[in-house]
Amino acid sequence: MDITVFVQNFLNGLSIGTVYAIFALGYTIVFSILGIINFSHGAIFTLGAYFTYFLIGGLNNGSGILANAGLPFGLPFVLAILVGSLMAGFCGVLIERLAFKPLRTRGADPLLALVSSLGVALVIVNLVQYLIGAEILSFPSNVFGEFVNQNPSINFNFVDPSRPIPIRTVQIIIFAVSLVILVLLAYLINRTKFGKALRAVAENPITASLLGVSVDRYIFLTFLLSGFLGGLAGTLVGTSFSISGPYFGVTYGLKGLAVIVLGGLGDIPGAVLGGLVIGLAEAFVPGDFSAYKEAVAFALLFIILLVRPQGLLGRRLIQKV
Amino acid sequence: MFESFFNQYGFLMVYMVLQATLALSLYLPLTAGQLSLASPGFFALGGYIAAVMSTTVWATNGMFPIPYLLLEMLLGGLASGLLAVVVGVPALRLRGIYLALATIAFVEILRVVSLNLTITGGAVGIFGIPQPFNSSLEYMWVALPLLIACVIFTARLEKSRIGRAFVAIREDELAADAMGVNPTYHKVLAFVIGAMIAGMVGAITAHFLNTWNARQGTFDASINILAFVLIGGSRMTLGPVVGGMLLTALPEILRPVGDVRLIVNGFLLTLGAVLLPQGLISPRVFKRKKVDV
Repeated sequence: MDITVFVQNFLNGLSIGTVYAIFALGYTIVFSILGIINFSHGAIFTLGAYFTYFLIGGLNNGSGILANAGLPFGLPFVLAILVGSLMAGFCGVLIERLAFKPLRTRGADPLLALVSSLGVALVIVNLVQYLIGAEILSFPSNVFGEFVNQNPSINFNFVDPSRPIPIRTVQIIIFAVSLVILVLLAYLINRTKFGKALRAVAENPITASLLGVSVDRYIFLTFLLSGFLGGLAGTLVGTSFSISGPYFGVTYGLKGLAVIVLGGLGDIPGAVLGGLVIGLAEAFVPGDFSAYKEAVAFALLFIILLVRPQGLLGRRLIQKV
Repeated sequence: MFESFFNQYGFLMVYMVLQATLALSLYLPLTAGQLSLASPGFFALGGYIAAVMSTTVWATNGMFPIPYLLLEMLLGGLASGLLAVVVGVPALRLRGIYLALATIAFVEILRVVSLNLTITGGAVGIFGIPQPFNSSLEYMWVALPLLIACVIFTARLEKSRIGRAFVAIREDELAADAMGVNPTYHKVLAFVIGAMIAGMVGAITAHFLNTWNARQGTFDASINILAFVLIGGSRMTLGPVVGGMLLTALPEILRPVGDVRLIVNGFLLTLGAVLLPQGLISPRVFKRKKVDV
């Protein structure tokens, strides 16, 4: 493959891969604490994008009952993305209280969590459709500031200066933001008391509670963090392309599953690796087969489950008698 | 009066029967403790076989002969069963949520493939599938016997040696293995029977809906069918049937609610999962009745 095309594909893959990674981290921390898969995580992704869109003062050009409505103020983008993601985080907490906690306190079949979170996802998707409408919402092109607006792509090529490689500035920003979030998260989980308590709850909630860790509080914080990451990923994808409507998060919700299984369910570095692998694999699908790009994540998921069910980084499952 | 009722709700009634049968296809592997969400994949395959056969190979003018429809169901069922053996043997080594995710991947791969093949009509799908009946309601002639046959078969199977082996594997696979029950054989068997049911339902549904496309076999459908089984009750044959009928009818029942009906639908799904841990129909309901008498 031509080196120029290779570098371009590689950078594209890296950019989308880091977004997959932060989205999938939201899935995986919930799984590591509660052992359940939160099917409403894709809907949280959608919500985060919508929240940020309205917080920067965007108008609703959809046909829902709130058509042409908008907030009377507009926050700066950096503040909006933080507040929007935080709001998505609180939606995650709300979902935990309504759909997961009642099941957990009763010790119900974990399968029911799949159905109850699916119900929540249906509520969110249809609520967005009802209030906002099914139309595409686009972030203004200068959302990252005038520099990006005037320089939509950065050109470089150190190998062959006569043929510069255009990289969208938005992608560089997304990559940088994702990288910062990943580093902060790694610090939070591995180096702080909060992270230590979180890992203790994940290992064994009963022992953790005996050691003075408030399990309920950490479950609350886990869902807040998970929702925040989901909402942030939604906003980043929304600014890179556009918000394609209430079903915006569905594809990402599914791909996120592939990402966390690829890396090892509940494994945090694994989710990052899984995101990068799937992002890169999709970027390198040859043009002739681009229609099959959507299936790449699932083909990888299926193969990895058959060959190495514990995922790339997961611990081997020990069967207890 | 009845005539107008059937005209209005004939379609819904047949659809309820078809979805109830589809719920059994997920219920069967679950009796053996295997959470397989592959049903929509086989459902889609059966539908595509019926759609392709009836629009190309057996293309007829006027009414589509019913024996051909039955033949398509047979073909759809067999093809799904064969594919289930190929997929099931490696996939059923996985447990719990891992199996569920592998089967979701299987459904998604099939969906993307059918979206891109020429024979399946690509993204548009297949249109104008010939009709063997004059009205929607008349589909009951094939849908209802299939449901009854599947219910009787499943209920009988549960009482048989094979059914007991399924339960033994569900409760403790290792212990079952130690007692001489072959887990792989029985797990694949349950998976294959479920797939065959889904394939047959797909073949009828393709004619019933008159059009078939990649949207028929999606992840959403997987979870919907799981909801049929879990809300209806996963410990008795009657559970998924009742769940399938009720949840299929629910958006229609909620029609008077107006635009927010799909929101209410999702809310009721969550409420059902939270409030009915055993599902609507559980063996306990029947046992309690016996004590009262």
